[in-house]
Amino acid sequence: MPKCIIDGKEYEFKPGETIIQVADRNNIDIPRFCYHPALTVVAQCRMCAVEVEKMPKMQTACSTPAADGMVVHTASEKVKSMRASVMEFTLINHPLDCPICDEAGECTLQDYSYGYGAPDSRYEEERRTFIDLDMGPVIKKNMNRCIHCTRCIRFCDEVGGFREMVALKRGNWTEITTVDGKPLETEYAGNLADICPTGSLTLKDFRFKKRSWFLTRAKSICEGCSQGCNIEVHHENNTVFRLTPRENMDINKWWLCDEGRFNIKYIHSPTRVVEPAVRQDKTLTLSDWYSAVAEAKEKVHGKTLVLVATDLTLEEMKAIQEFASSKLNGAAIYHFGTEGHTKASDDKPEDNILRRTNKTSNLHGAEKLGLKGWDGQGKFDSAIVFRGGRAQLPTDLNKYVSGSIVGVGVFHEETVDGYSVILPGLSYVEKSGTVVNWQGKEQKFRKALEPIGQSRSLVDVFALWS
Amino acid sequence: MSELIVSKFFYNKEAAPLEYYRKHGGYEALKKALSMKPEDIIAEVKKSNLRGRGGAGFPTGMKWGFIPKESKVPKYLVCNADESEPGTFKDRAIITYSPHMMIEGMIIGSLAIGAETSYIYIRGEYVREAEYLEKALEEAYDAGLLGKNILGSGFKHNMYVHRGAGAYICGEETGLLNSLEGKRGEPRVKPPFPAIKGAFGGPTIVNNVETLANIPAILNKGGEWFAKLGKLPNSGGTRLYCVSGHVNKPGLYEFPCASVTLRELIYDHCGGIRNNRKLKAVIPGGSSAPVLLPHEIDIPLDIDPMAKAGSMLGSAGVIVIDDTWCAVKAIKRITHFYAHESCGQCTPCREGCRWMEDVLHRIEDGHGKASDMDLLLNVADNINGKTLCALGDAAAGPVMSFVKKFRQEFEDHIKGGKCPSA
Repeated sequence: MPKCIIDGKEYEFKPGETIIQVADRNNIDIPRFCYHPALTVVAQCRMCAVEVEKMPKMQTACSTPAADGMVVHTASEKVKSMRASVMEFTLINHPLDCPICDEAGECTLQDYSYGYGAPDSRYEEERRTFIDLDMGPVIKKNMNRCIHCTRCIRFCDEVGGFREMVALKRGNWTEITTVDGKPLETEYAGNLADICPTGSLTLKDFRFKKRSWFLTRAKSICEGCSQGCNIEVHHENNTVFRLTPRENMDINKWWLCDEGRFNIKYIHSPTRVVEPAVRQDKTLTLSDWYSAVAEAKEKVHGKTLVLVATDLTLEEMKAIQEFASSKLNGAAIYHFGTEGHTKASDDKPEDNILRRTNKTSNLHGAEKLGLKGWDGQGKFDSAIVFRGGRAQLPTDLNKYVSGSIVGVGVFHEETVDGYSVILPGLSYVEKSGTVVNWQGKEQKFRKALEPIGQSRSLVDVFALWS
Repeated sequence: MSELIVSKFFYNKEAAPLEYYRKHGGYEALKKALSMKPEDIIAEVKKSNLRGRGGAGFPTGMKWGFIPKESKVPKYLVCNADESEPGTFKDRAIITYSPHMMIEGMIIGSLAIGAETSYIYIRGEYVREAEYLEKALEEAYDAGLLGKNILGSGFKHNMYVHRGAGAYICGEETGLLNSLEGKRGEPRVKPPFPAIKGAFGGPTIVNNVETLANIPAILNKGGEWFAKLGKLPNSGGTRLYCVSGHVNKPGLYEFPCASVTLRELIYDHCGGIRNNRKLKAVIPGGSSAPVLLPHEIDIPLDIDPMAKAGSMLGSAGVIVIDDTWCAVKAIKRITHFYAHESCGQCTPCREGCRWMEDVLHRIEDGHGKASDMDLLLNVADNINGKTLCALGDAAAGPVMSFVKKFRQEFEDHIKGGKCPSA
């Protein structure tokens, strides 16, 4: 393998690799704004410029292929002065409104300004300002903060599936915007806020909600579909503020779709049933755990239908199987979750990026445990429905069930009209567990929040039951 | 008067049609080329020491030699007629009076590199010239000089005129290719160079109008003859100089390379400075060339001597400035042009050019500060050589040279609080 020398140390590289790729692999820090491993190299920001011996000009590390015997300096005086000048140029028209900017604390521009910029400014002219157009429901644009790295344009062209962002005008007045000022159509718009190195593109949903440094980050797996995208749950005070993608080159690379990203609303919804509830005279009345479990035990009788949502973890599904065989003799167990998806082979790609047609996280895990999909057959005396929070509830259960229906898990008031008892359970951010994605990969995720209200884990519920 | 090549038919209103051109030896070179091997054509051009006339001065034959012989994707030849460097107006005259000379050069070039398609990328402002070209192409197609079977040789070639939308940056070859492909006109990252991956992903040669117009003469009279015209060993042929500004006889002048000095051009051929004023400054190669003072103009007009003198011949647009003109005003106007024409993709050029313009504006208005000159030099230095394409250098070079050479005048503006000549 050919070798190049970076800052005095020798590194092997594959032919065709650029300097920045070799540096990244070996943890050599080269600052960059426009370079992103997923996107075309444009070498526009000039921040990654390094000194290469025998080359008269500074070379951008993102676009210069490594060569055998090449000697690269990433921390020489020339490099430092170039970085300082690029920082000065990027900041002269930047509003420096970090105190009211949502990106602050996780802003590449801010970090690099601290790392490579000057503490004061020589700029005395008027800063340019723009009037911003709306970019749709997901993204809020602030063009004044933009440093023209064009990552967003390239993301839409190369990843998001729609060529819908462009640079208008030219030179100092170049404006990054959507085509004809239309709202974004891509289902992956949230990623624009992630890849934007400044506060120019931020999430409307997250704006002004929380300073980023207050957030605690928990590693998790998105439950939005059977892709199993790796995510981080950002939370504080037992409240989820946002989800962000976590890099996994085998599954979601750097991305997350908007459906998955904003699949947090139900967790803190005011209509979520978070205390045990029993139906009395047609109205759902709050109860306590002992009375509610006793009521549920009484209601579940005769020939029982057990429905297991495919948004539950492997551990929970196994526990339900054990519970059914030991406590509910002769019960029929089926899984449910997405309309038209009774077996793993019904799950298809929804686009050529990430989204799958099966809208729960663990259909493939349920199949692995031998569960069959609920296809609406048979007659039952009672039913017990286990659900995580994402699965689509069957609406016509009373056609097959003559007696009571008990719900265990995450339910909302508007969806439980036919239920006699609700035993509140945990959503995926309140528990740890394992799910299996469409490729058959088993992925573990970690608990982010303490149970909300009086919600309890399935293990606790089954303990009370016996 | 020395021998004329490209300006042979200038200002002759009857010269443009194909009939006239053929009567005066036109398309004989093409006939000759059709009987030659492509590598022999390239060898002849290499022998001629023809260097690109667009500004960079790269040896044309060597450039053609970079095109791979075998290519799975189509190869292209593009004529760069996006003549937008302020002070340059030679390509316009060639297109007006000798369009077929350039077209013949393009067909020969295409033959040499094996391109079946070529484009003439002409700046949007040249409306009439684009019409002249369309007319000339029509004539060439009708005469069988373009199309499926050129002069019965079996060589197939199509040529198109593509009008730009009015951007200086589309004269930069990769910016031009982006624009030609219908994309935003901004330069590409190099490598890959156009010779490997250019228009529509195919190997592409981009040559200036004047460069291509020289090709027929090289084929007719031989590369050696052409090389000997030049007075320096590595730069053959003649060159068109576009003289504008405060001279008595501005216009286009054709001389063998390096055969006249800048002083001779101004005083002997252009009749000296208008109204018998004093010469103040000369910008020798289009507005991006660093400025020269009156005592610095005894330099032979060619690429290497100019570079040695700290300026550049560029597109040979000689702008002459007399002592009535304010240096700060001149450089402010030049910088405004580059700030306006910066494509905006790379940081130093996008931010820096406008910054320099603002500071120059302030100084000219009498609101400058003593520290502004060093600021200007430093900002220019932070742009120079650090941008993605050469526009940054084009903007920074003049500012640095003006501040260094007219420092006193800048100081007078700052101290006096106004332009001393206003």
